[in-house]
Amino acid sequence: MSRVLNARGQDLRTVSRELKRFIEEESAVTIKNASHLHGLCAGLKGGEITIEGDTGDYLGVLNDGSTIKVRGNAGKYVADNLTRGVVLVEGDADYGAAQYCYGGTVFIRGNAGDFTATMNKGATIVIGQDVGDEVATYMLGGDLIIVGNAGLNLGNYLIRGNIYIGGQWASLGHNCKQEGLTPEDITKLEGYFAQYEIAIEPKQFKKITPQSAKPFYK
Amino acid sequence: MAIVGAFCVTLHNDRCINSRMPGKCATCVEVCPYEVYAIDEGEVVVQNFNACVGCRICVEFCPYNAIRINPAEPEHLSRYLWTFAQVEEIHYKSLTGQYLLRGLGTMGPLPHFDNIVVVPSQLASPPPKDKYREECKMEVVIGEKRAKNPIRLRLPIIFPAMSFGALSREAKLALAICAARTGIATNTGEGGVVEEEPYYSKGFLDKEMTRRKWSPGGYLIVQWSTGRWGVSADYVNAGDGVEIKIGQGAKPGMGGHLLGAKVTEEIAKVRGIPVGSDALSPCRYYDALTFEDVKKQVEFLRDVTNYEKPIWMKLGPSRPYEDVRMAALAGVDAISIDGMAGGTGASPDVVTQGVGIPTIACIPPAVRALNDLGLHRKVKLFALGGIRGGLDAFKALALGADGVGFGTAAEIAMGCRACMACHKGGCPYGITSQDPKLRARLDPEAAAERLTNFIHATAEEIKMLAMLSGHDDIKELSEEDLRALDINTAAITGLKLVGYERRLPLWEQHES
Repeated sequence: MSRVLNARGQDLRTVSRELKRFIEEESAVTIKNASHLHGLCAGLKGGEITIEGDTGDYLGVLNDGSTIKVRGNAGKYVADNLTRGVVLVEGDADYGAAQYCYGGTVFIRGNAGDFTATMNKGATIVIGQDVGDEVATYMLGGDLIIVGNAGLNLGNYLIRGNIYIGGQWASLGHNCKQEGLTPEDITKLEGYFAQYEIAIEPKQFKKITPQSAKPFYK
Repeated sequence: MAIVGAFCVTLHNDRCINSRMPGKCATCVEVCPYEVYAIDEGEVVVQNFNACVGCRICVEFCPYNAIRINPAEPEHLSRYLWTFAQVEEIHYKSLTGQYLLRGLGTMGPLPHFDNIVVVPSQLASPPPKDKYREECKMEVVIGEKRAKNPIRLRLPIIFPAMSFGALSREAKLALAICAARTGIATNTGEGGVVEEEPYYSKGFLDKEMTRRKWSPGGYLIVQWSTGRWGVSADYVNAGDGVEIKIGQGAKPGMGGHLLGAKVTEEIAKVRGIPVGSDALSPCRYYDALTFEDVKKQVEFLRDVTNYEKPIWMKLGPSRPYEDVRMAALAGVDAISIDGMAGGTGASPDVVTQGVGIPTIACIPPAVRALNDLGLHRKVKLFALGGIRGGLDAFKALALGADGVGFGTAAEIAMGCRACMACHKGGCPYGITSQDPKLRARLDPEAAAERLTNFIHATAEEIKMLAMLSGHDDIKELSEEDLRALDINTAAITGLKLVGYERRLPLWEQHES
């Protein structure tokens, strides 16, 4: 069953209540006119939700199992603190996408802003085009795949996890080093690219890993 | 300034090799340029301690660690600015290139509650209430307007945020058990939730909450913080309220520090970091660039918790009026403001000692901010930071707070001796250690018993002070129940000055 929820003129509490009711009915839900709502789809544990058009900030924060598709651009902090589930954005994502994630998958087909994937602790985050500055700051786990270019200070104080980048970076942050791709890395990237229909050759990617897991106090 | 006789020189003969084997060693005699020591019939003696200048070259060179040099007077009188501790701090930095880190909180003189006295009732005020035969209302309700399930504290007391990691599992459980036994709230801190905390704090032994052990049952606040350690939708819903941490008293402007020595396998798993790696929380939210973002966080946390749980905000001591005003405007149900005497598991010493606003200077502006918005007593205000017992708590309540938090005092109630080495992970009482051998020294139920006794005694103190001031409800307490003992305190707090019996003119001008 598929349900449509028109959010125009509605507040978060009303839309959220309806959304949860539809999900309990095991319906796939399409939400329209929701760009004024911040924190939409917060903390959901299941369901398939499609957002038609652009979204507000904090879409899918604390998502714990639902699949959220955005047919437009996402506001700031999309997929914040994701623990399980999937967030797919057809357009661009504003500042701070996929921060503080523990697990799950985030795919942004377009560009993503500054501080994307900051403090990622275990999610797989794929960015189809370019990212801004300070991306993957203090990343503690998981994979970040950037098909395009990155700005300043990429991977600053990277502690654990991998950054794969197809383009160039303006500068690398502290505690990063570049490594060659292993056959396992290539297989992994091929899988992601096939899944998200990205026509690019994995072998041209560079891999960035942490120099040390303990870069702070001696 | 006394130079002569400024130091006590102690030669421990049981350690000094020369006292056992005369002639064997006279290093102190040789290295001291001031002839403090001499050889007398083959033995080293202190011949002129008045000549000692405190250079401690003898201590440095003594091969048997037999000499102690101590200031003869309090150092803040005789050696300030250059106390031994200050000298050693400079040596440490010059040897290591590192600044000092330590636990606990601000040490040394600060304007605090000690310069305020309680005014009892006599003829000119309503008569006192009888503490032994009458009741005093102590309940504090949080979130009654916005949350489906408000928190109803039986006493105006909370245990503020202290993380799993900074504290041991046993200490966290002791706090939860005590909360259940006294009807108050404990707080996860920012290190995730210990599995038993949610049901222990309610008084149950099992997750299904079928086996009650402790009554009347308390509350658990889960903290949403900048490191977001162990945070998920389940975590946010694991407690009875959510606290958004903006800052803390011991290190406002900085995030939490959990040094690698305390990041064990268990802590690492909860926090999602490698074992032994420092967990340094960001100083600000990466996912809240503006105040509007903070308001959105309040809104979605209400949504994730199904509008059932109160939302709290914790502030460090910065600009109390403006910060509390903004927190209230963000739509929270309660605000904790942590003065600079607040505690910490680890912090740069320079920040703990020198950054922030004393607790007594935070409360009056915070109350004014809420009053100006018409929200005083509606948005509940909790005062934290160096509150030691019922007397401090009463003064904070009379200044306008709705409740107080006991952090460091709670640790001390469990057995802590305030050695300031919490950051090292070697707490010999098992309170701030993650070492299984040391943790085994802290029995959660025994520690909870001590905590419960402390909370009961403290609550009785608050009740006694409220009733001798003529009140049978802590919400009636006001500044009129207090006087400042000195001009400085009167100027900081706006309280009437003893003897003068009025507020200082600068306050009257300010209010007019």
